[in-house]
Amino acid sequence: MKKILLTAGALLAWTGCAVAGAGGQTVAIPVEDYKAILERLDTLQKRVDQMEKTDSPSGKAASAAMPSKLAKDVETIFDTLDKVETKTLKDRINLGAELRTRADFFTLKNSTSLTPGSLVAEEHNDNYWSNRFRLNLDSEIRKNLLFTGRVTAYKNFANNENNAFANDSNAAHVPGDSGLKLDRAYVDWIPEDMPIPLALTFGRHPSSEGPPSELKENRLRQSTYPSLLFDGEADGVVATVGLERYLGWKNSGLRFAWGKAYQDTNTAVSYMDNAGGMYDDTNVYAMFFETEIPGVRDSLLVLSALQVKNLNADTSYFGATTTTKVDIGDMNLYGVHAQANNLMDSGFDLFASAGINETDPNGATATITGGPYNGYALGLMNTGANNDEHSGWALHAGLRYNIAYKPWNNPKVGFEYNHGSDNWFSFTWGSAELYNKLAARGDAYDFYYIQPFNDNLFGRLGYTHIDYNYSNSGMHIGDFGDSITDLDNLYFLLDCRF
Amino acid sequence: MQKRIVTMLTAMSLMLPTVALAASGDALFLQSCGACHKKGGKASIVNPADKAGTVWEKYFARGRHTADMGMSDADLQAVVKYLVKHAADSDQPAAAVIPK
Repeated sequence: MKKILLTAGALLAWTGCAVAGAGGQTVAIPVEDYKAILERLDTLQKRVDQMEKTDSPSGKAASAAMPSKLAKDVETIFDTLDKVETKTLKDRINLGAELRTRADFFTLKNSTSLTPGSLVAEEHNDNYWSNRFRLNLDSEIRKNLLFTGRVTAYKNFANNENNAFANDSNAAHVPGDSGLKLDRAYVDWIPEDMPIPLALTFGRHPSSEGPPSELKENRLRQSTYPSLLFDGEADGVVATVGLERYLGWKNSGLRFAWGKAYQDTNTAVSYMDNAGGMYDDTNVYAMFFETEIPGVRDSLLVLSALQVKNLNADTSYFGATTTTKVDIGDMNLYGVHAQANNLMDSGFDLFASAGINETDPNGATATITGGPYNGYALGLMNTGANNDEHSGWALHAGLRYNIAYKPWNNPKVGFEYNHGSDNWFSFTWGSAELYNKLAARGDAYDFYYIQPFNDNLFGRLGYTHIDYNYSNSGMHIGDFGDSITDLDNLYFLLDCRF
Repeated sequence: MQKRIVTMLTAMSLMLPTVALAASGDALFLQSCGACHKKGGKASIVNPADKAGTVWEKYFARGRHTADMGMSDADLQAVVKYLVKHAADSDQPAAAVIPK
């Protein structure tokens, strides 16, 4: 009986989790009945807790009733269990690993060079190899205190140089040196006996490769945030309020997130937030509501709103000989993401994401000193003395079909499309691709085929075409111009996880 | 300066009873358990770090210590608390309180 109650309690906890696992068979029941079931489970859980507090019958009495041979055997088993359990409890962290080797064959046509106004007719690399190693860590420190971590080394073959656009948000997601980078390290704390279901997450967040990236990455959901709006490494604190028992919608919850996209450490006292008077910290405030779409099994709906205060302009990205950083204003982002896996048992996974960004420039500019753009004054999506507000939008949609063909280990084929307007910008620097596809101010077409070889190894063959209509994709600084740049990329990767 | 020293000493003196209470589990373990669980003793040597915290708790909850320990329930609770605090999976594992 106790086991049944415990299982029921565990199921309750599982349904409260933000990240949905693989879908199973479900039944549709009225919301009121669902809420009543949850309340009943609460009552049962309390009874289980009460039973656990009550002393069990004396082990001494039980063993006294046993024949001596049996009692001795039981004692031996207990001793063995003690050793095994002690050893297990001393292994505080579970380890896992991932290794990916990828070959890219890309062509970039009509790209702008560092010389203003000039074009590079064609740039191509038909033999571009990279390795990515990830070490995954997790630990159940206590019943309601969980740790998850990941360190990553991501580098190109026979090369130990940092990527030109590497920053703290993508250190583990763009090729660099062979050192391990802290990709994510966070603790989930679920306080007990709270008046509302609450979870607090702090540390370096699981904020990269969010939905729908898991479809292409052939894995479970990796982040809480839809990747069209935010895909990168981020340090912060998130409070999640579970709403399932109030709304009756499975996996529904509200998240309040705060993090820093930039923290000034240029002066000795800068940890006191701009005490040195150099630059303001860039703070990110966000709110997310998510739920399974009522009536649609294994689905997800996320409504997002972010405000980023005090964005910086860093002239070092433009070849400046002297780096200048200036606070250039704020930006708001709004998004909606809908996804349904294996819709109506059709084998199709579908998703659609939309995003809007709005700028609020403060009129300040960072003037480039030295280099080919010497003298350019960069503001928030403005160049020169302009103080115009801009807004952009983007759409990301796609599907994946799961081919039910066991002799080939059920391969998958997918297509994604995204379009970004002239002023589109979001925080997707930590994109799992070599190029920041979702930042494109133009159209991107992405095809892929996933071939699992066994449960631990799969290959992916993919082709991406990006037609950039406007320049400065992925940048919040400077004005944009028309672009005729095209990117074509054919790649193959092998990914091993264990 | 004098005032600060007096304040510090007062604070330290307030902490003393806490220290004394915390040491009771330690002392009981050495006196009661250590009487038998020692080198050349009636039972094999035992230290808190021999088992994990929950394993110690289960050990006594199941009544597996068959020999009479001659301890009150309160004293036994204090010993268990001490064992858990310095168990193998604790932050302060004690592996040689009773010399091996």
